[in-house]
Amino acid sequence: MTADAEVAAPIAARDLPPILGLWRRFVAQRSAVIGFVIVLFVILVGSVGPAFTPHPFDETDLLNTWSPPSENNMLGTDRLGRDILSRLIVGARTSLVVAVTVLAITLLIGVAVGMAAGYLGGWIDGLLMRTVDVMLAFPAVIVAILVTSVLGSGETTVIISLSIVWWSGVARLTRSLTIVLRQELFIDAAIVSGTPLPLILWRHILPNIFAPILVRTSVGVGFIIMAEATLSFLGLGIQEPQASWGGMIRDGLPMLGADPYLALFGSLALGVTIIGFNLLGDGLRDMLDPRLQGR
Amino acid sequence: MVVYILKRLIGIVPVLVVTLIVTFGAIRALPGDPVTVMLSDHSANVEMADRLRAEYGLDRPVLQQFVDYSTHALRGQFGFSYRYVHVPVIEVLGTGLVISPLLALAAIFLALPFGIIAGTFAAVHRNQFADTAVIVILVIALSIPDFAIATFLVYLLCIKLGLLPVAGWGSLAQAVLPVAVLAVPSAAYIARLSRTFMLEVLQQDYIRTLRAKGLGERLVIYRHALRNVLIPVLTQAGIIFGGLLSNTFVVETIFNIPGLGRLAIESVFARDYPVAMAVVLLFVLFFVLINLMIDVLYAAIDPRLRARMAAA
Repeated sequence: MTADAEVAAPIAARDLPPILGLWRRFVAQRSAVIGFVIVLFVILVGSVGPAFTPHPFDETDLLNTWSPPSENNMLGTDRLGRDILSRLIVGARTSLVVAVTVLAITLLIGVAVGMAAGYLGGWIDGLLMRTVDVMLAFPAVIVAILVTSVLGSGETTVIISLSIVWWSGVARLTRSLTIVLRQELFIDAAIVSGTPLPLILWRHILPNIFAPILVRTSVGVGFIIMAEATLSFLGLGIQEPQASWGGMIRDGLPMLGADPYLALFGSLALGVTIIGFNLLGDGLRDMLDPRLQGR
Repeated sequence: MVVYILKRLIGIVPVLVVTLIVTFGAIRALPGDPVTVMLSDHSANVEMADRLRAEYGLDRPVLQQFVDYSTHALRGQFGFSYRYVHVPVIEVLGTGLVISPLLALAAIFLALPFGIIAGTFAAVHRNQFADTAVIVILVIALSIPDFAIATFLVYLLCIKLGLLPVAGWGSLAQAVLPVAVLAVPSAAYIARLSRTFMLEVLQQDYIRTLRAKGLGERLVIYRHALRNVLIPVLTQAGIIFGGLLSNTFVVETIFNIPGLGRLAIESVFARDYPVAMAVVLLFVLFFVLINLMIDVLYAAIDPRLRARMAAA
């Protein structure tokens, strides 16, 4: 850092360790903090909640179907008399499990492909990036229809479909970061000292690009949750008796006139969750790149 | 320019080939024999099965079937439906071929002016209350999936207030809500883009010059700045159209509209794969062509891009 930049930096942030400076920048954004609180709540509900549901989420009560909110069922019941609140809580877990799994798979594939393309260059880069271009031509719903035709609908189908759609973005990002890093002197040093290629990628490239990739892909969690809910809503995704917010809204929609609680509460849970993840994601992005602030 | 268009056309070929392979594979991946599905109760009738198999070309070698499938598909012939035996896929698609593009077009014509006006408005009032309000609305509109938005709107407008019919297709009143729901995410996306680009444009020197020579703020923004916002928004039209196409699946399902999206999903569950895959093929083709058109249009507008592309 030059002396000029030192002076230009806000005094409060100058003497702090970098992580604390980032934290301050993050907390300064009100919307990001709101998003953070929502996400924390959803994660808490999704991880611990299923152990404390008021009723088992798949317990049916055919004498008490489509009940409005009552003392026994705080948010009412669905078509089979199952407790809506309990199913919302378990639905949070479903959303999170799908999102985290998809994130893990896309990171694994995307980072591997992106590093190979970016580091090796040449025809390998050309081939891999053309593949990425082709993948980007397929919207998630289309991919899901294809995967469903082969595997049938269900959680696996959702995870596979969304992974197929998402890895290409991660690969592009990884590639561009790798290309920049490859020009660094320490990579040249590693090559000259005879470090084998896999070791260069693993020990020198990966640690330097992983953090930004992780942050930027996590920003997309809101969209993964949205895509999962959409597929489940269309019937291509999570199947009964497993609980998913998209599936609950699908179930509740025809009853909107007589008994709107299932669809409305499902939509509310889903909407608030995605808003939370998106606010947090935008906040994280601005925190790491203040130039984008307010854009 | 011609070279550029040719290059882009060639670039489409791999996408098409992959789509054809994948859709053909999906049709053939049907667990069991399609003929058994078609005949259902009569599946023990060997003679009938053989006749159907010959009619659908299922008795030929797989590679031959693929070549037939591809050449026919590219000419708009998608073979016969499994669900409605002897009925060509194109007839099953029927009016859906018109309805889905119509929905998407209506939505984009609604979303464009709304989005650009909202985005410009927010940018002009940067960091004021109006800007914050628009941003909050945009975050909500971009975050809540369209079927959740539809749930709230149907509940409020159709059930509580009784203003619009709940579902169906045919009258103008029935089209209002589907088009609106379809337009919301696109309008929000366009608004966010317009706001970003407008903020950038407003910092340019020529804007300062215009203001310095005493031009009214309104003229500066609407006559001069807005034009330069439209071009970058145009480049994102591919993403916007992609989103719209996917969302027609949802909207058609919610509002019970006999479009291609709903038909595709119904067909997957009915194992009528030729119909489902025809829709997939049409959607991918449409999506790719739209993107090509946008790129060509953009290259026509921006000579720098044209030069770079021709050199590459």
